[in-house]
Amino acid sequence: MNNDDQTNVISVIQLSKHFAEYQAVNNISFTVKKGEILALLGPNGAGKTTTINCLLGFLKPDSGRVNIAGINPAKNIVAARKQLAYIPEQVALYPKLSGLENLTYMSKIAGVNKNIAQFRQLLHQVKLPDHAIEKPVGSYSKGMRQKVGIAIALAKNAKALILDEPTSGLDPSASHEFSELIQTLAKKGVAILMATHDLYRAQEDAHTVAIMNQGELVHSLCGDEIKEAELESLYLQHVRAVSTC
Amino acid sequence: MLVLTLKKEWLESKREGRTLWLSRIVLMLLACALLSSWHSFQQVQSQKQQVETSERERWLAQGKKGPHSAAHYGVYIIKPDTGLSVLEPGLTDYQGVVLRLEAHKKNDTLFRGIQDSIQMQRFGNLTPAFILQTLLPLLIILLGFHSIAAERESGTLKQLLANGLCPKKFFTAKVLALFGLALLFFIPVALYIVYSLLFSDSITVQRSVLFIVSYGLYIFIWAILTLIVSSYARAARSALITLLVIWSLTCLLLPKFAINNAAKQHPIQSSQIFQSKLESEIYTPARQQAIAKFKQDTLTEYGVDNIDELPFAWSGAQLQFGEQYADTIFDRLFGQRQLQLEAQSLHYQSAAILSPFIAVQTLSMSAAATDLAHHQLFSNAGEKHRRLIQATLNGDLKDNGLTIRSSDKSYQGDRHLWEIIPQFFYQYPDIGQLTSHYRRAAICLIIWFITLILLSYFAIKRIRNEGQQ
Repeated sequence: MNNDDQTNVISVIQLSKHFAEYQAVNNISFTVKKGEILALLGPNGAGKTTTINCLLGFLKPDSGRVNIAGINPAKNIVAARKQLAYIPEQVALYPKLSGLENLTYMSKIAGVNKNIAQFRQLLHQVKLPDHAIEKPVGSYSKGMRQKVGIAIALAKNAKALILDEPTSGLDPSASHEFSELIQTLAKKGVAILMATHDLYRAQEDAHTVAIMNQGELVHSLCGDEIKEAELESLYLQHVRAVSTC
Repeated sequence: MLVLTLKKEWLESKREGRTLWLSRIVLMLLACALLSSWHSFQQVQSQKQQVETSERERWLAQGKKGPHSAAHYGVYIIKPDTGLSVLEPGLTDYQGVVLRLEAHKKNDTLFRGIQDSIQMQRFGNLTPAFILQTLLPLLIILLGFHSIAAERESGTLKQLLANGLCPKKFFTAKVLALFGLALLFFIPVALYIVYSLLFSDSITVQRSVLFIVSYGLYIFIWAILTLIVSSYARAARSALITLLVIWSLTCLLLPKFAINNAAKQHPIQSSQIFQSKLESEIYTPARQQAIAKFKQDTLTEYGVDNIDELPFAWSGAQLQFGEQYADTIFDRLFGQRQLQLEAQSLHYQSAAILSPFIAVQTLSMSAAATDLAHHQLFSNAGEKHRRLIQATLNGDLKDNGLTIRSSDKSYQGDRHLWEIIPQFFYQYPDIGQLTSHYRRAAICLIIWFITLILLSYFAIKRIRNEGQQ
């Protein structure tokens, strides 16, 4: 493992993946360092979820490779998955179990060794209302479910957090709360990859923004460039430009 | 992971009202069936004991009479039950419980429960065996069909995998959790067996072990089958439909088809035709000729011209000869019938390769001694006793029939003679000696178990590949 690998928690190197005739991802590369938030923007079918599925080890790349904390999921899926936490657009939880029971089960099954008090503390940390902790998840709002998802990631103490459309369908207040939680995690050194359509949230939270379209990484912005850029017009410009090619 | 999964599955099942109600209903049915069978067993045992005692008294107190009259007076013997017949009545209702032993005849057993049943009862009695063999698999399906398929549908499976879930441990934990839940329904039965072992001598350890292991395997087979289907199904609904089709085929249709097919492949004559064939084969001119020859041979052997000159009562010798003549025909015809019935039974058992229900039903009846093999063993023991009675009575007549030749009275036996006839006592043999009768079913059940264990490899692979589509 070289120095780059040590700081780059998430690495995507010349990744390509196709399904039959369809080229889902075409030779893309990016890295997410410790404590960095990378927002992966792009329309539906741009290749964001395929990239995430390669990182999660659900798909094997046709060429190129991906690494999670220096581990290639295609080679050692168990070790790679131990280093990451994943929150999908709809956090999948057991509706008959409470938030606390879901967190306990999901974490313990992933090998996390914590007691109930610690799990309860984690739910407080993600600001899940006290009254909801013992209630069945079936009665939760999407924002509350996302908080349980974040608590699962926190419990795991993962080095990388992968989010697929995390703020989709959240009201502005819930989205803001979620953003705060993400930033807290980044400050703790977690590398965060966030696939999103939410340009506002990307501009607010991300340290790097990468725009994907038709399987290719068409543009990327870092640091101040993000704040200064007219992200919406830049996004539309790149998406439309490739679409009309 | 096992305890964790067990706890989670238990919590979900507990909060899923429908599952809880289903479980309560099945448990209630099982408790009712167990109590009702136990009550009826106790009643029957007490009646049998009374009848056995009074029957012996009846025999001993029959008064003075000719030995051959006593042979026709007959003895009634009662088929014993094991304590496991409370759980598995098997074929008891169809086979009868009392056998009349008399001269010249090999009778069929009497007092078949089915004859006393009202018509509707014939469509299926609520016995613990019926609940364990038919309803419990259905409950296992209803408890577990969604176990993995619903996780796939809701996305929790993908999320668990992404969080580092080990598919093999996950599947194993799910199987063991479902198996554990299903075993809860076996607890009342297990308690009854333990109680019987401790406080009564109606069952043996070997028979109990065979019974418990067979049902343990059967329940495990349904648990793992349910989860294999659930892990393959894209949706919980399709898992449920697939499992219900498998259940109705293996528990309802295949056994019926297998019985019909066995009867077709190894046909047997109806009892009426068989009885008339027996009569026609015994009472023939050949029999008269054989008796005449025996008479001539006996006269020659003793160097006399007339039976009155023989040193013993000819009537006793002739009656015994007639018995032995009929016995060879009984042995041949009943032997053929017995072989056909065994062939039917083995043919039926072979279908266990397609239906674990048939396998467990066979093993369960064997353990409880309520199958055909045990009935035939009892009938054979009864016949042996009948022949002993006839030989003793005819021998007595032969030896003592001349003692009062001078008077007008014929020879009569008394209590002393009746006491020589031992009381019939039968105990089923060790179940280990009867393996040939249930080996095929046991092998089929083990094949099911091994096959499903092997198939679970593909189910685990299917779980591992989740998210690749």
